[in-house]
Amino acid sequence: RGSRARALPDRALVNCQYSSATFSTGERKRRPHGDRKSCEMGLQLRQTFEAAILTQLHPRSQIDIYVQVLQADGGTYAACVNAATLAVLDAGVPMRDFVCACSAGFVDSTALADLSHVEEAAGGPQLALALLPASGQIALLEMDARLHEDHLESVLEAAARAARDVHTLLDRVVRQHVREASVLLG
Amino acid sequence: MRSRRRFPPLAVMAPPVRYCIPGERLCNLEEGSPGSGTYTRHGYIFSSLAGCLTKSSENGALPVISVMRETESQLLPDVGAIVTCKVSSINSRFAKVHILYVGSTPLKNSFRGTIRKEDVRATEKDKVEIYKSFRPGDIVLAKVISLGDAQSNYLLTTAENELGVVVAHSESGVQMVPISWCEMQCPKTHTKEFRKVARVQPEFLQT
Repeated sequence: RGSRARALPDRALVNCQYSSATFSTGERKRRPHGDRKSCEMGLQLRQTFEAAILTQLHPRSQIDIYVQVLQADGGTYAACVNAATLAVLDAGVPMRDFVCACSAGFVDSTALADLSHVEEAAGGPQLALALLPASGQIALLEMDARLHEDHLESVLEAAARAARDVHTLLDRVVRQHVREASVLLG
Repeated sequence: MRSRRRFPPLAVMAPPVRYCIPGERLCNLEEGSPGSGTYTRHGYIFSSLAGCLTKSSENGALPVISVMRETESQLLPDVGAIVTCKVSSINSRFAKVHILYVGSTPLKNSFRGTIRKEDVRATEKDKVEIYKSFRPGDIVLAKVISLGDAQSNYLLTTAENELGVVVAHSESGVQMVPISWCEMQCPKTHTKEFRKVARVQPEFLQT
């Protein structure tokens, strides 16, 4: 739940909560809320969106982002970030830029982008990257495995390229939506 | 002689509407000044909302570049705004209200407000009884004094002559007529009830 006494005097507070449905994974999850992974994911989403949302415009306010995963087949963080970007944009909250995310891994000396659940479960190193495409700034970069630094460049490049492709797609869809909405409203 | 066919004058075409998305670079800081829905970085103006670009050409100064969304953003009650609200419940210490209108614009979702006992009147604040000032269902004109604390209830005041109850129904269900600043009378049963009545300007009264 959101904080009550933690209102910041000069910025908006961004509060993110992640939950996954019990039927989202292969085996039915027993405890969907409050577990460590949900808390950590919520924290990562908050860090990502604090970098993108112009919080100075709304002091002493709170922006809530609730994400629920219905089907998890790898790349859940990336899917959450992309979906939340569209939601924040639709709500009219001013943002610096889109946030596009993608996961990447390294298998058999090849960098792979957008890993599926099977590829993630194989145990190789995986990287999650959230990018602000217009300026090329990285909002969040997370990896918790061992990867040799020589390979980091290629994996990062694969993730960045995939995130830019996502941005191209979102760009086209949002423009079409804005055009249709303005035609409807005359 | 060939007769010339007169073509009707072409309708003036509206300038093409340009849509933008967050992060899109609009122009240089020398060509325009940033308005709402934009931000500046490294000498350029970028859009921060998804909507249409509007340029307002000022006389002499740079045009103001802003991005407008189609859906109107909700008008929020600001400190000092006159609001129209409906009393939902009363207590010996305060009255809870639903804020319905801000000025003359209706709100899409109503906000909650509180009128404390000491904010009902300007004089004799400690002798106020809420039961004799408001009842549930009354329509009240109030002014916002604070945006509220953690429970997010706006704090309102009626401590002015022009603020207070404007429409009230008596216990028999008939709309009452004000007879003084603290009493209203039911036209059917002629019973008087206590309210903190607003002195509405005569030009706003509809008879």
